[in-house]
Amino acid sequence: MKQKVLYIMLLAALLLAACGGGGSAEQPVVVRVGKAGSPDTLNPGNAILANSYTIFELVYDSMYELNLDGSFRLSIADSAAVSDDGLTWTFKIKDGIKWHDGEALTAEDVAWTYNLYKDTPEYPYLNGYYTTYFDAITFTDNNEVILTLNESIPNLESQLVFLYILPKHIWENVDKLEYENTEMVGSGPFKMTEYAQNEFVRLSANTEYFGTQPKVDEVIFQSFDNQDALVQAIKAGQVDMITEMPSTAAASLKEEPNIELVVGAPLSPYVADIIFNQIDPENCPEDGGICSGHPALLDKNVRLAMAHATNKQQLIDVVLLGLGKPGLTLIPDGLGVWYNNSIQDYAFDVDLANQTLDDAGYVDADGDGIRDMPDGSRSLTFRMNWPSDSIEAPRMAELLGEMWSAIGIALEPSAVDPDALTAQCCPAFDFDIMIWGWYSDPDPSSLLYVYTTDAIPYGSSETGYSNPVYDELYAKQQIELNFDARKDIVWEMQKLVHDDVVYIIPYYSAAVQAYRTDRFTGWITDQAKVELADVTSLMVIEPVK
Amino acid sequence: MNRTRIILRKSAWAIFTIFIVIIFNFFLFRVLPGDPARAGIRDPRLKKEAIEALQVKFGLDKPVINCFETLNPIKLGSCTINPMETQFFIYAGNLVKGELGISYHTNRPVADVLAERLWNTILLIGAGQILSILLGVVLGIVAAWKARTSVDYGAVTASLIAWSLPTFWLGIILLFWGSTVGLPVGGKATPGISTYPLIQQWADIAKHMFLPTLTYTIVYMGEYTLIMRSSLIDVLSEDYILTARAKGLNSTQILRDHALKNAMLPLVTVIAINLGFTVAGVIQIESVFSWPGLGSAIFEAVIRRDFPMLQGAFLLIAVTVILANLLADLTYTFLDPRVNVE
Repeated sequence: MKQKVLYIMLLAALLLAACGGGGSAEQPVVVRVGKAGSPDTLNPGNAILANSYTIFELVYDSMYELNLDGSFRLSIADSAAVSDDGLTWTFKIKDGIKWHDGEALTAEDVAWTYNLYKDTPEYPYLNGYYTTYFDAITFTDNNEVILTLNESIPNLESQLVFLYILPKHIWENVDKLEYENTEMVGSGPFKMTEYAQNEFVRLSANTEYFGTQPKVDEVIFQSFDNQDALVQAIKAGQVDMITEMPSTAAASLKEEPNIELVVGAPLSPYVADIIFNQIDPENCPEDGGICSGHPALLDKNVRLAMAHATNKQQLIDVVLLGLGKPGLTLIPDGLGVWYNNSIQDYAFDVDLANQTLDDAGYVDADGDGIRDMPDGSRSLTFRMNWPSDSIEAPRMAELLGEMWSAIGIALEPSAVDPDALTAQCCPAFDFDIMIWGWYSDPDPSSLLYVYTTDAIPYGSSETGYSNPVYDELYAKQQIELNFDARKDIVWEMQKLVHDDVVYIIPYYSAAVQAYRTDRFTGWITDQAKVELADVTSLMVIEPVK
Repeated sequence: MNRTRIILRKSAWAIFTIFIVIIFNFFLFRVLPGDPARAGIRDPRLKKEAIEALQVKFGLDKPVINCFETLNPIKLGSCTINPMETQFFIYAGNLVKGELGISYHTNRPVADVLAERLWNTILLIGAGQILSILLGVVLGIVAAWKARTSVDYGAVTASLIAWSLPTFWLGIILLFWGSTVGLPVGGKATPGISTYPLIQQWADIAKHMFLPTLTYTIVYMGEYTLIMRSSLIDVLSEDYILTARAKGLNSTQILRDHALKNAMLPLVTVIAINLGFTVAGVIQIESVFSWPGLGSAIFEAVIRRDFPMLQGAFLLIAVTVILANLLADLTYTFLDPRVNVE
């Protein structure tokens, strides 16, 4: 009896499996995008993950849009004018823009949204960083938004690009912190059709969009819990495009007949860094500072020798399987014009590295193969920690251990829970060397801040580096309105921190994405940055005939 | 009579255990290092004010409990404050109201997320358990009945292999195989299927369930086969079975009426305990096949260091394990009257 039930169940499952699918000719054109992960929340104020921002870019509009070459373009406004003192910006909002529910989008919505972000300190990014310089926002009957700043800043575009415009008529009636916004009403080229958290986001083309119309009917972002499944999904044709994959999968996808691999600088680059604890005891934070770093790391010669002994190309080849470029500072090549490409990196030269340490007095006094401090107090044995969830760090640590043992430096490697690592890191400075990294904003300012003395007590400075000249330059570029002049300052700052060997930046990893060539054509792949899920690509792709 | 007392006493112990778990669960996440408000967010754009606002939002600005400001690092605080203003009693008070807090990661009430995910997991575990129990029992009976023949050796070897296979590895292998034969590699349903007729939606879910259920069945089937086999072999060597044979009963009668009832006892215990633990055990299967259940929620919460979510999930798992044990205990007293004797 039981067996019978079982057979019937198995049979039913197989039958159902066999008859699934099957389509008709009138089906909408759907692009399926595979994502490792899903949006954390659709409330733009609360959102942190890039997966959420990908959806916001498609469903909402902002004052400016970020181009794939790193520049900005005006989006919902016809014009932007700035007063001579740089404090008052006037944006003329386009007439006739409609929300997805049919209501008109006006300057009032824009002003209301900016005020919402400005007045909600619980919104971690949109309030904390992007509205720092907002003083007041008002609107006129002429459909204009007037934004007054408390300081004239050079990078307003990059501050406004993530401030998505929300419909006042909906948001004024909800709890701005708890609202989940699962039925997003935006004004962008795509509308929210269906959302299942951690499963998928289904968007459909907004046929009333004020700009060019998308050529597809629907975009579906499907979430996968692991990247291996993602790779199998594109191989099997269950998704048309994927935006991430393990480095090891890239080679196998390259050989698939119907799949094209796209490699380039990522839209929001992740910069891996090798952090030296060089906090001056005088700067040790009063609140929570432990500052137990190895004294040798305060000596630039030691850091310089380690930089000379680091074979970045080998790191790239082994850790990233070749999918990256040697790094210089926290400002990656993906930031385009802000990246100082004139810096000459330290040559990989073990002899020079040994010479540097010999000259500085670090010799192996006790003959154990490890150099000692000039006063003989302790050996050059450094603790080296990395977050235990990192895939790249263990391999990198092993290679660095080998590279640096060639110059008489020993490591005590250990993978640490990311929370514990945060506790060791900053502002405690209770470590010697760490492997970690940052995500970069389109504007260089946020990562340049990491090197400043001001950042030490707040946990953003990981090295404890403090250089008054640098701090002054940082303040200067914050208010330099002339683009070229600001660029020169930003370049000078990179030169400065590179010369001081504040970090060793092993590499800038490339974005590796892939699409199926037998499904859609027209993906934008010739820009400085690679992002197939960017609105520009999704607007122009067409089904393969 | 006696039975009621036993049920009451066992239930009281279960409730007491849950109570201990609730307390332990709270402090477990408070002794972990790091600042939960910053967990998962490491960004120079996050200013001090924003961190403070987040701490207030999640109630982390309040002392953990009277006399202790924080537990890692241990920071003493005032002992005379109103206990209802401490994190512990707010947590306990919310629990009474059925609230498990707000997830740091999704900003949604933890209870809502868990409730949503629980059904998907029950669907997966339900199908997998039924299949593995049926197959395991049948295979175990056959192996025991044909003990020390090639059928038995084959069944035992296969079961041992299946039982010792690492779940995630088996899952990945099946995923690779499944993708080549057109089975979906992830998710519960094809996105957008909700506009189709109901029968097609079910078919779609069945198709998505196939690989994870298969993985689950293979892994648990081996265990059930082995237990069933050894338990039945034990029973079959008892004197009363010999008596049954001597009375001239046929094999089916001996198995069905005399041997199986007693041989099932150990299996019932294992199944009941497994039911409790599989809620946690499906983490690997769900994260391989992106099945939107509790397991993948826990996996995600660990990655994001979403403490309220983990706290809620741990509580749910603990309660399930305790209840499953209670159930096993009680079933036992019904199946085997000897257990009633105190």
